[in-house]
Amino acid sequence: MVKQAYDGPILEIDQLSISFFTRLREIPAVMDFSCKVMPGEAMGLVGESGCGKSTVALGVMQDLGVNGRVVGGSIKFKGRELNAMSDAELRDIRGSEIAMIYQEPMASLNPAMKIGRQLMEVPIIHEGVSEAEARARALEVVTDVKLPDPERILASYPHQLSGGQQQRIVIAMALMANPSLLILDEPTTALDVTVEAAVVELVKDLGKKYGTSMLFISHNLGLVLETCDRICVMYSGEAVETGSIGDVFDKMRHPYTQALFRSIPLPGADKNAKPLVAIPGNFPLPHERPRGCNFGPRCDYFEAGRCDAGDIPMEPVPGDERHRSRCVKFKEIDWEMLALGADRTETSEPGDVILRMDDLKKYYEVAASALFSGGETKVVKANESLSFEAHEGETLAIVGESGCGKSTFAKVLLGLETATSGDITLDNKAIGDTPIAERDTQTVADVQMVFQNPFDTLNPSMTVGRQIIRALEIFRIGNSEAERRARMLDLLDLVKLPREFADRMPRQLSGGQKQRVGIARAFAGDARIVVADEPVSALDVSVQAAVADLLMEIQRRQKTTLLFISHDLSIVRYLSDRVLVMYLGHVVEIGTTDQVFAPPYHPYTEALLSAVPIADTRVQKKHIVLEGDIPSAMNPPPGCPFQTRCPWKSQVPGTKCETEMPPVLDMGDGHKIKCHLTREKLDGMEPVITLAAE
Amino acid sequence: MDPLTWGEIIPRIIVQLTPVWIALAVTFALSITFKRRLGLYGKLFDSVIGMMGFALVMFWVFAAVFGAMDLILTHDPLAQSGNMKNKVPGTPYTKMIGEAADGAYPYYLLGGDNLGRDVFSRMIAGAWIVVQIGPLATLFAFMAGITLGLPAAYYGSKLDTSLTFLANLVLAFPVILLFYLLVTPEIVATGIPTYMAMVLFIFPLVFIVILLNARYHTQPKVRAPLLAAVIAVLGLLYLSLISDSSGPIRWLPAWLDLFDIPGGILVVFVAVVFVNAPTVFRIVRGIALDIKTRDYVAAAQTRGEGPWYIMLWEILPNARGPLIVDFCLRVGYTTILLGTLGFFGLGLPPESPDWGSTINEGRKLLSIYPHPALPPALALLSLVLGLNLLADGLREESLRD
Repeated sequence: MVKQAYDGPILEIDQLSISFFTRLREIPAVMDFSCKVMPGEAMGLVGESGCGKSTVALGVMQDLGVNGRVVGGSIKFKGRELNAMSDAELRDIRGSEIAMIYQEPMASLNPAMKIGRQLMEVPIIHEGVSEAEARARALEVVTDVKLPDPERILASYPHQLSGGQQQRIVIAMALMANPSLLILDEPTTALDVTVEAAVVELVKDLGKKYGTSMLFISHNLGLVLETCDRICVMYSGEAVETGSIGDVFDKMRHPYTQALFRSIPLPGADKNAKPLVAIPGNFPLPHERPRGCNFGPRCDYFEAGRCDAGDIPMEPVPGDERHRSRCVKFKEIDWEMLALGADRTETSEPGDVILRMDDLKKYYEVAASALFSGGETKVVKANESLSFEAHEGETLAIVGESGCGKSTFAKVLLGLETATSGDITLDNKAIGDTPIAERDTQTVADVQMVFQNPFDTLNPSMTVGRQIIRALEIFRIGNSEAERRARMLDLLDLVKLPREFADRMPRQLSGGQKQRVGIARAFAGDARIVVADEPVSALDVSVQAAVADLLMEIQRRQKTTLLFISHDLSIVRYLSDRVLVMYLGHVVEIGTTDQVFAPPYHPYTEALLSAVPIADTRVQKKHIVLEGDIPSAMNPPPGCPFQTRCPWKSQVPGTKCETEMPPVLDMGDGHKIKCHLTREKLDGMEPVITLAAE
Repeated sequence: MDPLTWGEIIPRIIVQLTPVWIALAVTFALSITFKRRLGLYGKLFDSVIGMMGFALVMFWVFAAVFGAMDLILTHDPLAQSGNMKNKVPGTPYTKMIGEAADGAYPYYLLGGDNLGRDVFSRMIAGAWIVVQIGPLATLFAFMAGITLGLPAAYYGSKLDTSLTFLANLVLAFPVILLFYLLVTPEIVATGIPTYMAMVLFIFPLVFIVILLNARYHTQPKVRAPLLAAVIAVLGLLYLSLISDSSGPIRWLPAWLDLFDIPGGILVVFVAVVFVNAPTVFRIVRGIALDIKTRDYVAAAQTRGEGPWYIMLWEILPNARGPLIVDFCLRVGYTTILLGTLGFFGLGLPPESPDWGSTINEGRKLLSIYPHPALPPALALLSLVLGLNLLADGLREESLRD
């Protein structure tokens, strides 16, 4: 098809409503949604899961499945109404004029087809070009998405590429037809932070180069700040605020937007002095939305009679260009006022050392061939000389990307695996070689874990109360069923869940509530060390703060040592007292939070810090994009594990980085860095994150 | 008396089945009224296909039960009448010698077979045999499959390899040949079927004991009496089952031996369990391999649960959806298998009214008199179809939400 020149808005959505029809009822997924994307503009669509942001994208693609239907409003693409188009017309537009990039790259690529063929399909179908021309175009686009050795990539199958490379191919495929509109649905959520940063950088550059308009869907405000020009905040099926990035981030005019910003850890937040403010309550279910303002029941400024009177329209904010808010009271609210109810708490002093790791090593032997065991085996070094101490009542964050060995370390600590060599001592008792079946009940109860995925952490076929009581039975707490039940109810109180939840099934709980049950279960035996494996990363932004604060509160009360495994440096900076950075099984940096987050850095820490998107317009970041992917632990590079991606490698004379394992440099006060860089070079580093003066 | 026309036969059959209709109506009325409170079973009544399947299955279950209670049968399924040999449906009932007893049903509704027995009564009586053996044999196969499949998946490595190999070995054996072997008098005389029964029937006992022990081992006060009671009751049942006054195993004194299973039935039972258990084993192993990677399994491990607790209380309950669906399908296969066995005249006594045997007998005169073979064939078809539809409905409903 011939693309027409067009200079009006690329996408114009007006009062769009989309519903899904189930057996029982109609569920409105999107209501009264309007937005406009101009040529070359990037629009960010932000909201929590279930707010309808992906439904909007599917509505634009007219791909709502059998149950979904547009029930009102219009979607105009370059002035043409998409709702009225026939299937043939839509097929013509999809892929050539509007392209979409999904969250899971592996699911978007056909695993049985070579990359080259998949890319070539696009222009062959839409423009009818010859194979040779399509191949030339494919090669050009693969070069554009900065993949090494494009010829080889075109000839490989999707499974031969890493996650980051796959996502680049998906982007390349979307760009093959040079579309006018690119829809990105959480394109980097499945990727590691440093890879994410590189992909985001790429999307931004390509958007500029090709002049493509973008609809960028994300739950991450920081990412939207980095990529978009305008933003639309959604809550429970409605757009609540829309405007330019600057207006919405600095002069928000909707209580939900404000609450969202108060609940994410920005630089400057501190768990003791300036704690986060969680949004009270829960996200309403689509069929249980309140009358009037959907955010009403959770809003600090709620006023009965006005906010719940009827439908609330989007009103323009006077003085700002194209800045609108869906709040009846936004002109009366004092937006500069500080949040209410954020209590300061006492800083708790860490106590004695209760856990000590000394030169811990964990190797796995993997048979080279799966069919015949025996013969050649490969050694995977999951943990390599791990040494640290953890004190009573402190939070030690373990930071690293996937494959860095943090989960293996947790397994060894919990006794699910035994260490290959080295010692773990808990209260001067060696536990590194004791598998969990041989540990005594007290040790087992002392070291517990909170898991990452709330939808997986509870047994779906047992009531919440039963699961906690089972933990009590196993830890031999309480002498009778009645005693244990009482203790279980106390634990529900501890994690601030209503006591009625004892008899509920896990599927009746929201993600945050499930995570609380998981915490209650971990603390059933008064655990002294709790390993929290990304306990909030799978939760929505507005509940993250509440769950994180709950962990802190229990820690303060019970003097628990928290080992907080995470890749999200914002939350790490907010929560932890000390930080340990891991890369490919090695500890590359350890120190107090202030030491790690300020120069001198290990080069990897520096790149991590730069990669994490921060939702604050005042922050100036140094831009460091790492090349390539994390090497496989099966086949680590010689010398320094980070040498393949290190931007500072040229600063070290000779081939020391490729040949020698770096020494551990003591920077004073327990701050240690494992690097070949000289003291002077490290001291000369500039801070990655600076707050612009206000 | 004149023979009945089809217009008269069908209403008479419907009237004869009155207790079945009443029972079906009551079951459906109650289930639909309370369907929101009945979990997966209640959801079945949201799906038309599921309801049809359930109705067909329950029709035969009720027919079998009321047939066994003698509420439906028109004649004794084994009684012969020389006058009624190969008579067409609707023929009035007479006897060659003497008069028919007073109050005897005046017609053979679906005609008589080659020995002059009532086809309708035999069909209903045959349902009782099928409905008894099918689900029970499947249940035993499930217990064996689960007890072996869970550890294979959970422990993996050598145990998994050897158990899977064993399962493949059994599956690779020609089924019909296996049955022929099992019922050969020489093989029965060696006691092999009884020894197989001894091995296969221990699984339910082991399964239940481990299940309870894993759950209650932290509370010795509850565990000891509970386990003692369960082992005593189930153990007695087990021993009664395998020991037979005439068989090779005579462990129980006669006064303690509660019941004897007729040799033929035992062989059929053993054969069906033996060929079904490996398939169940594979399904359970597959599901368990997936579930064991879940966080709640890791959570159970980190609090020091034993492997059997994790297998039976964390993994098994969450595998129930696919297992229930498979159970329904498998009862269908078992029913067909029983039909096949009967058809080949294996296991069950020759005069048995079960559907496979009656089809086989009717087959001999099929081109002249199709009526004795068709009713049991249609019965078998409708029951298996019902089970398959039920499984479809359950799968559809359990996949939703």
